[in-house]
Amino acid sequence: MLRKLFLPTIFVLLAYGFWVSPDFNEVAAGVAIFLVGMLALEEGFKAFTGGVLEKLLRRTTDKLWKSLCFGVVSTSVMQSSSLVSVITISFLSAGLVSLTAGVGIIFGANLGTTTGAWLVAGLGLKIKISAYAMPMLVFGVMLIFQQSRTTKGWGYILAGLGALFLGIHHMKEGFEAFKGTFDLTDFAVGGYPGVLLFALIGVLATVIMQSSHATLVLIITGLSAGQITYENALALAIGANIGTTITAIVGSLSANVDGRRLAGAHLIFNAVTAAVAMGFIYQLTGLVDWIAGGLGIAPDNYTLKLAVFHTIFNGLGILLVLPFINRMVDLLNRVIKPRVRTSSEARYLNSSNAGLPDTAIEAVRLETLRLYDHAAEIIAEVLGLNLEDILNGKPIGSTVAQTRRPPTFDIDDRYERSVKALYAQIVEFIGAAQSFMSPHQSHELFALRAAGRDIVEAIKDTKHLQKNLARYVASENEHIRHEYDDIRANLARALRRLDRVRRQGEDSGAVLSLDAIKVEMKRRDQELEGKINRLIGEQLISAPMSISLMNDSGYAYHVIKNLVKMGEVLFSTSESALREAERSVSLDEAELTELMQENTKSTSGRSNENP
Amino acid sequence: MKIRRLIEKAQSVFDAEDRKTKAQKKSLKHVVKKLRKHEKSLQKQHREEKSEAKSAKLEDQIKLAHAQRKKGLRLLKDLKKKS
Repeated sequence: MLRKLFLPTIFVLLAYGFWVSPDFNEVAAGVAIFLVGMLALEEGFKAFTGGVLEKLLRRTTDKLWKSLCFGVVSTSVMQSSSLVSVITISFLSAGLVSLTAGVGIIFGANLGTTTGAWLVAGLGLKIKISAYAMPMLVFGVMLIFQQSRTTKGWGYILAGLGALFLGIHHMKEGFEAFKGTFDLTDFAVGGYPGVLLFALIGVLATVIMQSSHATLVLIITGLSAGQITYENALALAIGANIGTTITAIVGSLSANVDGRRLAGAHLIFNAVTAAVAMGFIYQLTGLVDWIAGGLGIAPDNYTLKLAVFHTIFNGLGILLVLPFINRMVDLLNRVIKPRVRTSSEARYLNSSNAGLPDTAIEAVRLETLRLYDHAAEIIAEVLGLNLEDILNGKPIGSTVAQTRRPPTFDIDDRYERSVKALYAQIVEFIGAAQSFMSPHQSHELFALRAAGRDIVEAIKDTKHLQKNLARYVASENEHIRHEYDDIRANLARALRRLDRVRRQGEDSGAVLSLDAIKVEMKRRDQELEGKINRLIGEQLISAPMSISLMNDSGYAYHVIKNLVKMGEVLFSTSESALREAERSVSLDEAELTELMQENTKSTSGRSNENP
Repeated sequence: MKIRRLIEKAQSVFDAEDRKTKAQKKSLKHVVKKLRKHEKSLQKQHREEKSEAKSAKLEDQIKLAHAQRKKGLRLLKDLKKKS
């Protein structure tokens, strides 16, 4: 009920304010333009999330100080801690960064966001920024209408900055005009009750505007116009810091457990920092005066002193909380527990990373790899083998010869339970994520979807094998048993080789070496015909056995072919452009046949030379 | 001359197709380089291998890597012609 009434109440209050005072109208319009600028800026930076930002984030997560620096720098550049929080949450959800690294980034972002106050107080109020705003808007909008995603991104950034400047200008003008008719400082409250009251107002303003940056700019422009007292402005800034966690909490609602833990860490950090700042506000004010004096800031330059205060109290928060970061992570791990998941439930896909193209692609890749893991288990079980035995390096031939338990489990049931359900989630996610992607990125997603389909096809072909494998794996006829052992061994070797290549995903040479499996498969397929003719000719196997053998060799061939195709897409951990280059260099059917013919020629040539 | 170069540069900034081709060339060059490294490492293994069967397998793998590298170089040449 309250929720439903909240927005209409705000609307009515604003409308009343506009009717009563045109100056309030200008201040509110300034805030609105500023927020539009923030949105445009975020949109612009999102255009670059398909590369630079993700690459940087990946490289800056191995050490805590690096994560912290990343948070400071990225937020200073983008002027949006919300965007950094959202990206970090989505990276956490996709399993790309650790929780400790994520917490480090968020702490850094808190410090980075203080640069906004410096920029507005130091430059925004001194230079006539509205003069720059107009051309920036014009050029920005022109660039937005361009085709290229990067150019569009620059357009949004330029237009966003233009709108920010224009917003600040209107806020400043509004407050200046307001001063002549109405003095807000009449409502100033001193002492600790004032600190508490204005902190609460700061929280509310930030929750409504969903941006601590906007609140801070409003405070600075109000302070410069003398409409807010310095003491109350400090309390408002503290409140804005608490209010900003709301954005992170809302963003984490759809994230996985790590995303929720990160939002928890954000809340703890900001609450602790705010509590300390409010408790020691008068001591901090003294410290601000001392530092401002050292920096040559005039005693009556309250806007810059607010910027100093904002930096000090966020820096202090980092100093206070950083030593306990591991304990905090432990606590969050204990308190916020993951849901119990079934194996068919997606682990990396959620709506928080659907909007960030590269993260979404990586999440789909990781989830499809899980799909492959399920498939590999099913295939190994159909072969009557244990997947661990296949992958641990023991000689495949002897492992196959030693295990003769016919596969009896219900493959359809396993497919429905652990593969189909997961694949359906992947396909659904791809459908939702592709709307945010460039054609190149969509192409990458489709390749991953096709890899998932290859896995499904491989399982279906394995199912066809199951019946005869069960019949011949322990057959009295050693010849047919031997041939079926050969099929089992080949499939097991392919799984082992795929696993090895998967571990060397960064090496294009290794990924492309999967083509060698295709060559071997083709050779075996060619040899099989002669072998079957010999076995029938010598009456070592019956005609029905030979038909089963031919069919099942074909199924095995398709299983391996599909898995290799999948591996070429899924195992490469290179950037998307490199992955595409790898795929273009991979040999197609005709090229493989040609290569095999050349190999055969050179082998026969060699044997003729050395009779 | 300088202005012409400046115009060309500005054109390439706004020409998405040109940038795409450049990125493709860069990735292909990288893959070809990796393949050459892979081929050399296989050749080294081949020289040191004593088992005949394994040696024959390695020989096949060398030929495969070589064919892939050749294909990569061919694609690079096509891209250069295109740009």
